[in-house]
Amino acid sequence: MSYGSAEVLRGVDLEIRQGEIFTLLGPNGAGKTTTIEILEGFRKRSAGEVSVLGTDPGKGADAWRARLGIVLQNWRDHARWGVRELIVHLSAFYDRPHDPDELLAAVGLTEQAGQQITRLSGGQRRRLDVALGIVGRPEMLFLDEPTTGFDPEARREFHRLIEKLAADDGMTVLLTTHDLVEAEKLAHRTAILAGGRITVCGTPAELAQAVQAPSRVRWVEDGRERAVTTPDPSQTAWELHSRFGGPVPGLEIRRPSLEESYLELVGRNA
Amino acid sequence: MNAKALRIGIKRGWTEHTHLLKTRKELVGTLIGTVGVFAALTLWMGDSTIEGTGVSRITFMMVGFLAYTVFGTALMTLPMALVTDREEGTLLRLRAIPGGIPAYLAGRATTALCQIAVQSALIVATGVLLGGAPLPHDWPTLAWVLLLGTVATVPLGAAIGSVLPSRNAVGIATLPMIALMFTSGVFFPVTIMPEAVQWVAQAFPLYWQGLGLRAAFLPDAMLAAEIAGSWRLPYVAAVLAAWAVAGMLLAPPLIRRVTRRESGSRLAARQLAAQRS
Repeated sequence: MSYGSAEVLRGVDLEIRQGEIFTLLGPNGAGKTTTIEILEGFRKRSAGEVSVLGTDPGKGADAWRARLGIVLQNWRDHARWGVRELIVHLSAFYDRPHDPDELLAAVGLTEQAGQQITRLSGGQRRRLDVALGIVGRPEMLFLDEPTTGFDPEARREFHRLIEKLAADDGMTVLLTTHDLVEAEKLAHRTAILAGGRITVCGTPAELAQAVQAPSRVRWVEDGRERAVTTPDPSQTAWELHSRFGGPVPGLEIRRPSLEESYLELVGRNA
Repeated sequence: MNAKALRIGIKRGWTEHTHLLKTRKELVGTLIGTVGVFAALTLWMGDSTIEGTGVSRITFMMVGFLAYTVFGTALMTLPMALVTDREEGTLLRLRAIPGGIPAYLAGRATTALCQIAVQSALIVATGVLLGGAPLPHDWPTLAWVLLLGTVATVPLGAAIGSVLPSRNAVGIATLPMIALMFTSGVFFPVTIMPEAVQWVAQAFPLYWQGLGLRAAFLPDAMLAAEIAGSWRLPYVAAVLAAWAVAGMLLAPPLIRRVTRRESGSRLAARQLAAQRS
């Protein structure tokens, strides 16, 4: 995929299974939005093969669109509409939409039903966007950086909502984020996109293993502080113990956190 | 366009129209802006008449405002609404929905029709009740000229709204239209203009819209102020129909092009640019 003169995506190989919550994790500018826009059929790709619900997004017609839900980053549309009014209006496009009032309750906007959209807070607006994204009971939901600008409590609530929706309706969710903690908490599987390619893809545990940056082992020998960086600190510690024939003075093993590991990985690929 | 999208679209257009009626800024801008100015003119002009005809100046002005309402709503308000919808992401939202774009366009056309209907009714009511202007003597001509004039300009407005990149650009594009307003014979008789200006005016729908409406309201005593001394209704029909066809041919590919280009990242880039400026 090239965008203007610069190639943005080089190797994005992904397979997302039905019913899973999948996050596409990466720093800003890694190509997450480009990837998701290609999948949504909003952007043409210059090369490669893409299939979403069995259809090439570049050729997706209305019947295909009806099976997708899309939540973008920057929606400020329909500001003059009422919250419930817009949900009812957009539900009319689908064959078997959610009941507007049930949907309002699910996203916690029952109290705001009669309110003008322009008066919603940022978090409420985002929850409305999710409600509008799922009003047609999509089989697949795309969320582009849905929790940017949320406080921790709003984020937690939002995660619960997405988990509930995926569990209840068997909906497949693809979500982009630049927050590792979010990906770790929410996703069944995560792919890390850095420098235009997928560097790692797997469950949170697999992810932790794959991105694990080397640990740092420090000790004191001959009155001087020594340190090595090693992918296998346990082996290093064993060798030190053998060499000292007992306790190692000042021994300290520091494994980088998942976050530090992730940042290291992203740094390598930027 | 299928029946479902059309039905949803008309309802959407009506909802948006009621929103406009509830928005103070919008009310002041469109209603006071045209109807209010006309009412003020009516009071100011009193019952002076155009010499030698017995026709009140108010009647002539009322017809001018009527023509301008259709023209301005279709070619200025509608493009502005399209560009705003694009900037706020409304167009993209509907692009993500099955059948959303046809319904959106039907909605925009419906809103424009509602605005034209409400403003036209208010202008005629003001003219008749406040200024003592006569009701039209030729209702069928009034009906078909208003209708054809609307059909001639609304698709054109949609095409303009699809081509212009920003709200500022719409503002700039409005300037030649205001020039047209003063040279098309809707507020001053076209025959006082230089002949070259008359030819330019006759290329655009506003002149013909105004001419057709004058035919419906004014007596033949006013014909002396018209080109060729005639209402030329067959020409009115032909030119407006030609503009209607041109608009309908032009608008769909331009709208398709602009919707195809809409994406979240374009939206984000535009909003960022708007914040910076």
